[in-house]
Amino acid sequence: MGKDLTLVREEIKPEMGSTDFALSMKGITKTFPGVKALSNVNFAVKFGTVHAVVGENGAGKSTLMKVLSGSYQPTSGTIEVGGTEARLRRPADAQALGIRMVHQELNLVPDLTVAENIYLGRMPGRWGFLDKNEMLQKATAVLQEQETAIDPQEILGNLSISQQQLVEIAKAYAANPRIIVLDEPTSSLSEHETAALFRILRKMRDAGIAIVYISHRLKEVLEIADEVTVLRDGSMIETRPIAGISASEMIQLMVGREVSNVFPKSPAKIGEPVLRVNSISDGANFRDVSFDVRAGEILGLIGLVGAGRTEVARAIFGLSGIVEGTLTLNGKDVVINSPAEAVKAGIAYVPEDRKGDGIIPGMSIRENISLPVLRSLTTFGWIRGKADRTLADQYVKQFSISPPDPERRVNLLSGGNQQKAVIAKWLAAKPSVLILDEPTRGVDVGAKAEIHNIIGQLVANGMAVVMISSELPEVLGVCDRIVVMRDGQASPPIDRQDLTEERIMALATGEEVA
Amino acid sequence: MSEIASELDSESSNERFARGSRLVDLLSKTGLSLAILAVILYGSFSSPAFFTTGNFLNILTSMSIIGIVVVGMTFVLVVGGLADLSVPATIACGAILSLGLQPVIGPVPAFVVAVALSGLIGSVNGVLVGYLGVNPIIATLGIGTIALGIVQAAVGGVIVYGANPESAEFVKGRLFGIPVVVLIFLAVAVIGHFILARSFWGRWTLATGGNYSAAEASAVPVKAVKAGAFVITAVAAGISGGLLGLTLQSARPLIGQGYEFSAITAVVVGGVSIMGGFGSVPRAIAGLIFVQLLTNVMVLDGVRTPIQGFVLGILIAGAVGMDSALRKRGVA
Ligand SMILES: Nc1ncnc2c1ncn2[C@@H]1O[C@H](COP(=O)(O)OP(=O)(O)OP(=O)(O)O)[C@@H](O)[C@H]1O
Ligand SMILES: [Mg+2]
Repeated sequence: MGKDLTLVREEIKPEMGSTDFALSMKGITKTFPGVKALSNVNFAVKFGTVHAVVGENGAGKSTLMKVLSGSYQPTSGTIEVGGTEARLRRPADAQALGIRMVHQELNLVPDLTVAENIYLGRMPGRWGFLDKNEMLQKATAVLQEQETAIDPQEILGNLSISQQQLVEIAKAYAANPRIIVLDEPTSSLSEHETAALFRILRKMRDAGIAIVYISHRLKEVLEIADEVTVLRDGSMIETRPIAGISASEMIQLMVGREVSNVFPKSPAKIGEPVLRVNSISDGANFRDVSFDVRAGEILGLIGLVGAGRTEVARAIFGLSGIVEGTLTLNGKDVVINSPAEAVKAGIAYVPEDRKGDGIIPGMSIRENISLPVLRSLTTFGWIRGKADRTLADQYVKQFSISPPDPERRVNLLSGGNQQKAVIAKWLAAKPSVLILDEPTRGVDVGAKAEIHNIIGQLVANGMAVVMISSELPEVLGVCDRIVVMRDGQASPPIDRQDLTEERIMALATGEEVA
Repeated sequence: MSEIASELDSESSNERFARGSRLVDLLSKTGLSLAILAVILYGSFSSPAFFTTGNFLNILTSMSIIGIVVVGMTFVLVVGGLADLSVPATIACGAILSLGLQPVIGPVPAFVVAVALSGLIGSVNGVLVGYLGVNPIIATLGIGTIALGIVQAAVGGVIVYGANPESAEFVKGRLFGIPVVVLIFLAVAVIGHFILARSFWGRWTLATGGNYSAAEASAVPVKAVKAGAFVITAVAAGISGGLLGLTLQSARPLIGQGYEFSAITAVVVGGVSIMGGFGSVPRAIAGLIFVQLLTNVMVLDGVRTPIQGFVLGILIAGAVGMDSALRKRGVA
């Protein structure tokens, strides 16, 4: 029975050779009021290949894919799907042609179950009656095929961001697509989950599906892609087979220059402990977690997804409660019950879920940046307009947020630029302890180096930084000490010199390696 | 970024990021003004009584009482609190207390106490909605009913009459040729506007309505902010009720009936999002002006009451539909 279900997917266009184009976009231009997001882009993908799209933040990658999936109408240009010209007026048109998109930001319904989300809009059943059993079985099969341990009957909102991301991918996959677009699917996945995803992608590719893969992680692109297209400032720069290109060449094409050290590590003088976490537990997700972070230090907090890293960070910041244990800040015990108290105490937290916890979508970049420190910009309760604007201008410049217009609504920015705005917001609060949860998620190489530079300056000035990241090279590149979490428990801080990627993975998975 | 790169950036951004042609923005802003103009034009042709100083003063005066509530209700919608249905009860409390207490403590203290107790009703609403997470519709409906019951029992009568003719004269009088009620409304509107648009509290209100958990994670005291919107509305409704009582010199428990509906209509027609996070006092007042003028024209033209209700209903549906359509396109 279960076997049947996993094998129901039909062969896709078996008569087509691998040189046939699944889709071909010609001369695509897309303008928004005030922005030319794409200009005259040509883009073609063959059946049975993984085609990567790379480019800096705001280069137009997501916009191009939204044109392909019918969310945006191109200002000009044509799209051919499977050799025939298609008019994609709405997402349903694209879906009818077998195009499925996994968006950069999650688009699921938090109150429904995983299975319901996977089959949303295409619930199995007869005459309008939902066949719950069938849906559940199908969803189970799809999830099993993806090798994820997610319960299809779980309410989606209870899952972690990375698990939700996997559900989003399962949802696209379950629709039996001919063309599947993944916009930064791994930005919140751990290495382990990424490897599992790649196995699925290869399986899909071998079944003849055309896969478009957007990522800022060039290592992954080199690993999974067959071809790569580089976009820069809304224009197509080049499409090349992956065999003939290196990461540094890609970067050069993306930014038009060479980026030398992605993880610059500026040595900072390490001082006294600023924040000490004394065996805290939240009664559910983590227990007995202890570590300290010193002035001028970057402490890495890593582990597999679900290990409890984000929960620890949220508890320290007052977003969730601690049932046991204490926090010591600059030698004094503190109790933090809300983010407002945390900010007052000098703790800031850049959250993992940008769309959910990071930005106020309807507000401008300026209004977002000044939100945590708004009180300090007021006189008798009135906001001093000039102080507000100066603050935003400063950070928009410092982070090269593009477009450099503080009055632009933050949700109209590209994903990476939104992330920069969120980090800027917290730097404006001038904390003494900064907790960063996946700070470079969805950020391009140039901006990543920039963010690390800025963090480097901050620690040089004595800030203590706790950094949660799923990217091991990043952690090993910038952190001074590293705490590895597994199943809600934390290792003692380990010096970076004593660690390798393999050693970390062993600690994180609990599989000792020889 | 290196210097070369930032140069590259600014170069390309010059052609790629022109200043936005804010056509849609402009339309969404001027659309209502155009509609108001159209109603005025139509009214002037259809009825000789419409374009007269007397009629406009009438509209202004009746608009002012409801307008004060509209200012408060704007906060409730913007903060994402759906609506405050305790408004009729709060208005009645304001009216009954400001008249009923006159013989006891004098007219001015009576007014102040009336407004303060109205605010208290709002804080109960606020605690229920903001801190305990009760659905706003249910909380405000329930609290309104309870509050009205208490006030009636305390005053011990069905209708309360005014005992201080001077205060009535003052409220009905004019200053610089403008009715006092209108001046009070303008003052409330200006204060409300500045709080929402220029104070930290207003920014917090917009942020809380825009994305509750992000606002919370940005150190905004979201619970207090949400509760505050209900207090603001209740204070506004209390003032409105007090003025209404003084104008009429009598107050019955049902005096505020229908005001919640009119206020919500005005705010929604003004383009303030029922989903929260977006809106301003001037927009809400533009909505109010439009609805009031339209109603006035319909009355002068002898349109039957059920039809009037029908037209207003369509208006709300249209405004809400527009709101969600614009949201989807990421414009509003
Ligand atoms: N709906 C919109 N309205 C206005 N401008 C937009 C809109 N969507 C995108 N843009 C602009 O178009 C440009 C391209 O954005 P896009 O999201 O495609 O970038 P991206 O390559 O996906 O970047 P990232 O790597 O950061 O996700 C950006 O400058 C962005 O601000
Ligand atoms: Mg993108």
